[in-house]
Amino acid sequence: MDLNYAKLLETNNYLRQLSDTTYWLCITRTVQESKLFPMNPYMLLSYLNTFYRLPTLLREIDAATPAEELGDRAREVSLKVDTVNAAWGMPAFYLIGREMLMNWGLLGPADAVDDVVDVLDFSRRFNLAYHRNDGHLTNKEFGDRSQFLPERTLQVFESDLHGVVPGDRLHTAATKLIAQLSQYAFLAHCECRIGIHTSGPYNFGDSKQLIVRDFFELTEGDYPWLDGIATQLPHTNLTIPIVFKDTNFHLMDDWASFEAEPSYAASNIAAVGMYTADALTDGYQPVGMDNAEQLAETMESYREILNQATADLWKRIASWSREQMIDAGALVYSSVAKDFAHLAGTYRQSDWFELDDRVQRFKPLMNDEYGRDNLGEMVGLLGFPHQKTNEYTMARYSGLNQNMLTGIPYTVLTDDDFARTAGSTLSGSSSLPPKNGLWTTSAGRLEIDDYNTRARDFTPAVLADGNRYLDEEWVKRNYTSDRADVLYKAAQSTSRTLSGRGAGLRRADLP
Amino acid sequence: MSEPTAAAQTPPKWGSTEMLPLPARYNGAVRALAAKRFAATGADWKDVVFDRQFDLFSLADARAVEQEALDSGYRFDFSATVSLESEPDKYKRPEKAASTFADGPVTDGRRQVGIGDNVLRRTETVSGPVALISTTEQVMGFLADGVPAGTIAVIDDSGGTLTAPIIEGFAGVICLGGSVRSHLGILAREYDVPTLMNCQIDTLTDGDVVEIEVTAAPPAADAYETGDTGHARIWILEKGA
Repeated sequence: MDLNYAKLLETNNYLRQLSDTTYWLCITRTVQESKLFPMNPYMLLSYLNTFYRLPTLLREIDAATPAEELGDRAREVSLKVDTVNAAWGMPAFYLIGREMLMNWGLLGPADAVDDVVDVLDFSRRFNLAYHRNDGHLTNKEFGDRSQFLPERTLQVFESDLHGVVPGDRLHTAATKLIAQLSQYAFLAHCECRIGIHTSGPYNFGDSKQLIVRDFFELTEGDYPWLDGIATQLPHTNLTIPIVFKDTNFHLMDDWASFEAEPSYAASNIAAVGMYTADALTDGYQPVGMDNAEQLAETMESYREILNQATADLWKRIASWSREQMIDAGALVYSSVAKDFAHLAGTYRQSDWFELDDRVQRFKPLMNDEYGRDNLGEMVGLLGFPHQKTNEYTMARYSGLNQNMLTGIPYTVLTDDDFARTAGSTLSGSSSLPPKNGLWTTSAGRLEIDDYNTRARDFTPAVLADGNRYLDEEWVKRNYTSDRADVLYKAAQSTSRTLSGRGAGLRRADLP
Repeated sequence: MSEPTAAAQTPPKWGSTEMLPLPARYNGAVRALAAKRFAATGADWKDVVFDRQFDLFSLADARAVEQEALDSGYRFDFSATVSLESEPDKYKRPEKAASTFADGPVTDGRRQVGIGDNVLRRTETVSGPVALISTTEQVMGFLADGVPAGTIAVIDDSGGTLTAPIIEGFAGVICLGGSVRSHLGILAREYDVPTLMNCQIDTLTDGDVVEIEVTAAPPAADAYETGDTGHARIWILEKGA
């Protein structure tokens, strides 16, 4: 690697931003605990697994599809490489694992410097492309907002969503499905929130705001424990755009969760829709969107499927051993970047669903109390001895002389008693039953080799043929051009109301 | 001052030890062991840190750290019931929950027995018999037999998964932890199940009939920073009232 002073300055700047933001996120939430899952022990193991494995996996992905191109993909539709998983979780989990090892005296701040620089470089390029439309690096930098979708997609939402009033069939079906999806997503993700994503808000005029709610990993796919679960569901991801009246979503943070004033209430929902997207879809694909009755019926049937799936999955999980629960949870967290591999067509089950041998050696330490207190020490109290800084410093948010994440010392440019990488040989295992099912995609249920081949051969229309650089600044002065029309018509191709209308539309022109 | 052998193992200038006892004990033990093992190699740090990492710390070492704590009589707090059930000798036995609320006088046939944070404001309070739920066996039982109509669940877990398959069946929820932003709070809002989070209660037993004040205003956005919480009341309805 060509490591130089400027590159290191940039890396440490990004690291410090992640450190501050992650601290803020952690202290504004209560401790995560569950009577069902030993959450804190699995979280600690997941960070270590991320530290040892992520750099190697990202290098392969980056070589197949560069990080900034993956950001372009994630900016166009809802993919699991989203705010909480890819933009924040992936680099944060990696760096938190590094902190644990440093605190144990098993790693120095200069060690694995090539890995740290590569992970943060990948993350930064992804985030910049993902946030291209708002021009920021993170939701925090943008003032806790998340507005990555382009006008052409938002116009389709505004025009195609179905209006609702509390008590009508669609309003009831939508609120019940969202509740069921939230419940199921927590369970499928071993109690953590990363199967749920929210973005926005977008101004929909007349005191209305749109938020986009996404639910991922709903049926057979990467998680071995979902084999045979919810297989009647044709989609593994669902996106539900919701228009609220008289509600201001004043916070959309880097965990993709929101706060609103007045608080989120189903009675303020004014319009809804439903879509799906994955690594093989060209834009959002409408689901049951022909009319309000069809959408209500579709939502009701999906809710029934997921209600049964929740009971089925709960019974399966309730029979697991403690180690199986810990392995599953750790793998959920350490695989937050796995959908990059689906987009790049480099996905292998063993890459993402094994706990590395180097991690397995720490398992006997991970009782519930140590898990809880070591996590609290590391991300809340910042009580690891090496997290303290000199006595004159006052950190952002806490005002104290401590930082969650440790920078890379600049002496890596001159000294040599450190190891540059943790290595690229991956060997691991899992106590969970192996995956035997297929992968649910928009192209049907596929074997993984087929899925990878299709992914490698696929480019969505809005990123093909030079469309990639036709951004909102360009549209501002070129909306009358044929190229703009082609771009907008691609986004409108599955719209019930805007198909073929082109680039000249403004809000007043929408039907 | 002697020249440190490796920066990775030199105690940092400004910090000393962890604030919490078990992290201090475990992490201190790992640090001491790693330093001893590295010194014994006589090699450069860069040739040990990854290439000989299992010499620095191994699975057997982790087991020894745990055993040393257990041998000293230390027993761990548990959070997941599976931990206590699978390794009962390592964990403290759960004590019967002490009352966290001093009950009030009887007024209009009801006595205040607790407070909490209301998730979503409703127009009427909710009453019903309570069921105390903390194990997967209990949830399995409700799954098989159904949740009796009107049941108000008392749950000591702010997570959303323990009661995942049955939460919709409750007339109300009293959660003895978390906040309105916890997973259970989020789900209660989505399911529109009347719920109080972060509750402090007098001792309740299965079948006690309670009333929960879900007409109270939810906590303000900064309530958990300012401590301005606990405005929703819980009453027990006196028998014969």
